[in-house]
Amino acid sequence: MEIESGTRAKLMYGIASSMLILGLLLNYFNLGTSNFAGFSSVGNWLIYLAFVGLMISTVIALSKKRRAVDERMEFISTKALRITFLSLFVASFIIMIIDGIKAITIPYHMFMSYLVCGLLIIYFITYKILLRFY
Amino acid sequence: MKLKTNKLKEFREKDKMTQEKLANKIGVTRQTIISIENGKYIPSLPLALKFAKIFKCKVEDLFEV
Repeated sequence: MEIESGTRAKLMYGIASSMLILGLLLNYFNLGTSNFAGFSSVGNWLIYLAFVGLMISTVIALSKKRRAVDERMEFISTKALRITFLSLFVASFIIMIIDGIKAITIPYHMFMSYLVCGLLIIYFITYKILLRFY
Repeated sequence: MKLKTNKLKEFREKDKMTQEKLANKIGVTRQTIISIENGKYIPSLPLALKFAKIFKCKVEDLFEV
């Protein structure tokens, strides 16, 4: 018997969600081991596996969804990408100046996460703005 | 760059075609059709050729620079 793709997706999401809830509960009530390969901030293996499951389900769902992408969208995304990279250079220059004036002391991984999130936000906003102009 | 002539809307209305229908035929979004009709976006050559094929006319009848 073949399972429908919609039912399969729901099933995968359901299993992943229940694993996540179970993992969080075990972690919260401190039942069993709470370390994930030395990274205690991750919690236990159930939480990790649930996140992997959720990610795989989302990737499958997104790849199956039919999206209309036309040349105008590609044109706008190229422009948005160009603006994002330009803003990266400008931001790097500003950061260098700020660092020269007063040393930036935040940890490297935090700095990189902020930078990547900032770039994603800039790209998203630029894309949305450019959609109105083209 | 702006198009001197853009008769897409004229041709579409002559054929009693909606923007949605034309967009589906060409394989683009309705927003793209709106942008081209309003002169905000200049279509590429393959897209212009598709328009010409649908309206059974020459590209230069539709668009002119």
